[in-house]
Amino acid sequence: MLTVGSLSRAELEARLSGAGLVLRTGPFANRIRSDVQPLIDGVALMYADYPVDPEGGFVDFHLDFLRSGGLRRWVRSQVHFAYDGTTPFQPLPLGQAYPMLEWTMNWCVSHRAHGYLIIHAAVLEKHGRAIILPAPPGSGKSTLTAALLGHGWRLLSDEMTLVHLDDAVLVPLPRPVSLKNTSIDIIRAFRPDAVLSRPVEETTKGTIAHLKAPRDSIARAAEPARPACIVFPRWEAGAAIALDPMPKARAFMQVADNSFNYQVLGARGFAALGRLIDASDAYTFRYSNLHEAMALFERLAQGAA
Amino acid sequence: MWRVTPGQALACREWDGEAVLYNDLSGNTHLLDGAALDLLHALRVRPADAATLAVRLADHFDAGDNDLVSLIDDMLVTLAGLDLIEPC
Amino acid sequence: MMRLPLLVRVLRDPAAVRGLDGVGWDLLLRQADAANLDAFLLVLLEDAGLLDAVPAGPRAHLEWTRTGAAGHARAARYEVRQIRKALDGLDVPLILLKGAAYALAGLDAGRGRLFSDIDILVPKARLAEVEAALMMHGWITTHHDEYDQRYYRQWMHELPPMQHARRGNSIDVHHAILPETARVRPDPDSLRACARPIAAEPGLATLAPADMVLHSAVHLFFDGEFDKGLRDLVDLHRLLGEFGAQPGFWDALPARARELQLGRPLFYALRYCPRLLGTVVPPAVRAAVALDGPRGPLLWLMDRLFERALLPLHPSCADAFNGPARFALYVRGNWLRMPPLLLAQHLFHKAFITKHNESQAA
Repeated sequence: MLTVGSLSRAELEARLSGAGLVLRTGPFANRIRSDVQPLIDGVALMYADYPVDPEGGFVDFHLDFLRSGGLRRWVRSQVHFAYDGTTPFQPLPLGQAYPMLEWTMNWCVSHRAHGYLIIHAAVLEKHGRAIILPAPPGSGKSTLTAALLGHGWRLLSDEMTLVHLDDAVLVPLPRPVSLKNTSIDIIRAFRPDAVLSRPVEETTKGTIAHLKAPRDSIARAAEPARPACIVFPRWEAGAAIALDPMPKARAFMQVADNSFNYQVLGARGFAALGRLIDASDAYTFRYSNLHEAMALFERLAQGAA
Repeated sequence: MWRVTPGQALACREWDGEAVLYNDLSGNTHLLDGAALDLLHALRVRPADAATLAVRLADHFDAGDNDLVSLIDDMLVTLAGLDLIEPC
Repeated sequence: MMRLPLLVRVLRDPAAVRGLDGVGWDLLLRQADAANLDAFLLVLLEDAGLLDAVPAGPRAHLEWTRTGAAGHARAARYEVRQIRKALDGLDVPLILLKGAAYALAGLDAGRGRLFSDIDILVPKARLAEVEAALMMHGWITTHHDEYDQRYYRQWMHELPPMQHARRGNSIDVHHAILPETARVRPDPDSLRACARPIAAEPGLATLAPADMVLHSAVHLFFDGEFDKGLRDLVDLHRLLGEFGAQPGFWDALPARARELQLGRPLFYALRYCPRLLGTVVPPAVRAAVALDGPRGPLLWLMDRLFERALLPLHPSCADAFNGPARFALYVRGNWLRMPPLLLAQHLFHKAFITKHNESQAA
């Protein structure tokens, strides 16, 4: 199987500046074209283990990232995103090209892939039990995710949990984990082995870096998982660890609130979320110490919370 | 007199005395307590007014609710505001 | 005529998808997406019994449009319901136009068709009351720029669009189907007099079938904006297909067009629908409208302009001519609606002054 890592840098650049690199992430084929070096660096490092689809096949999403053209060198260079010829977003400084790839890949899925209920949540699996972590920004979800990946958990997704509409099966979409500001240092300390992208400063979300997904998670991207728990995490300085059951009807409303496309899906979304809630125990989770959190999640994986 | 709005299928899921309900007309989803759900189910069986519902559902409400009819009336107005029921 | 883009070939003959490989499906879906016809493509293939043979990759994308279309239909129905409630006390006949009409009347043209605003037609004399009633129920006017307000109220045939403060949906309240300043004036009283109630929806009506076709044609050929050109042509194709089966429809159509001074847009509709989409139009009807169209060199020019402008707005369908073609038609379209002096003033203001205001406010 051809992976990004098995291409030479020259071949990678040739594909990206030519017909496109067709990168497979979970169920989706993304055709990426770009001449922007920071983006190419990001792809080479973060997506080394990902399959490359042959040309001439069907592609789900078309993403072009091009630098501002021509002779205007005195204008600070920017990267422009185009989705199949349309430009839905403002350009960004060149240095933000790799995070832009991550954000736009998310946008493609959340705006179009209405064959799934798409929850803004991380989802990880261990011992056949999948835990969904919905969380608004600032709740420490990604730090927790990044830490758990160093403790044998399989990554299904960091940002978008895909729930199959007809049964409550969770479809993997393993991609790099995004970390912000202080999380970056926390994870560097907690997981010295982790591979991180070069931090990018001054984005609208602060300083951003991405953590490479475990090779095993990528290799198992075609293997769905069954939900066992929904955990709403919250990091609080100095807090004692606490896992409290949440009534299911409320968990339903909270998850619906944290979904990208629940409203679009209408009655089908209602039914799919109902099945998910049926299958899962819901909790709120408060923690301050990552080691304690790891131990508690291990108990959840054993089914013994 | 009140009835369930035509076209409203009242798709709902219930766990531990609380329920979520999908509103076919507006596309909104509501969190309802058991009492509101009981009112809706009663109205689906047969249109009724607040007084009739108070009698039919007396044992579903707390004993302390003295003015049950008035309480039910308020709940009916709220449910109408959500397009779940309508006057008839 | 030049070779048609893949999407247009499939619209003419859905069975053309049978030979498609991965790259072909990819191109077809992207053209459909660019033309706002992806949800319709699902309907087309399903009706033709071809959906099961679509390979898994493209099939998933087609199925993704199904939920969006269903959700949209539900939201539209609900929004119209709220509008009807708001106007309940006024005893004003509520006539739906365009997408909302197709959807609520259960027409074939409504299936797989998404639209962003609700358009209604009310008598000009009742406009102030209607606006007041909508405001009472949570709609607020947009386009606060003084010039834009004047543009709509004085020169156009509608109120400035109103948006619901809580739900965010937009409503366009029209009192005619063309502006007062246009060269032709289809009589709104006549349109309203022939309106048909929607059987399943008390209090709601649509234009008569012939008038719906003419409204769609004038909207497409006079508006000057062709980013939804192919989609609008597909509307016409589907309306003609459904109404054409009704007895008396074809016979009465040319005369009705002339009565409403809309002979020219009907001529174009009955010319370009068959040419691009293979619409079946009785030869006698085409002959009857022949005199309403331009002749000779002007017709040749219009053919070149429209045939390019009506294609999907997608890089794969572009050629060197397309940019100018669209602009030429944009200017032409606006001329038909506003006298030339007003037009120059309007375009200048729209392009420069309005943007300046926007950047000031940002």
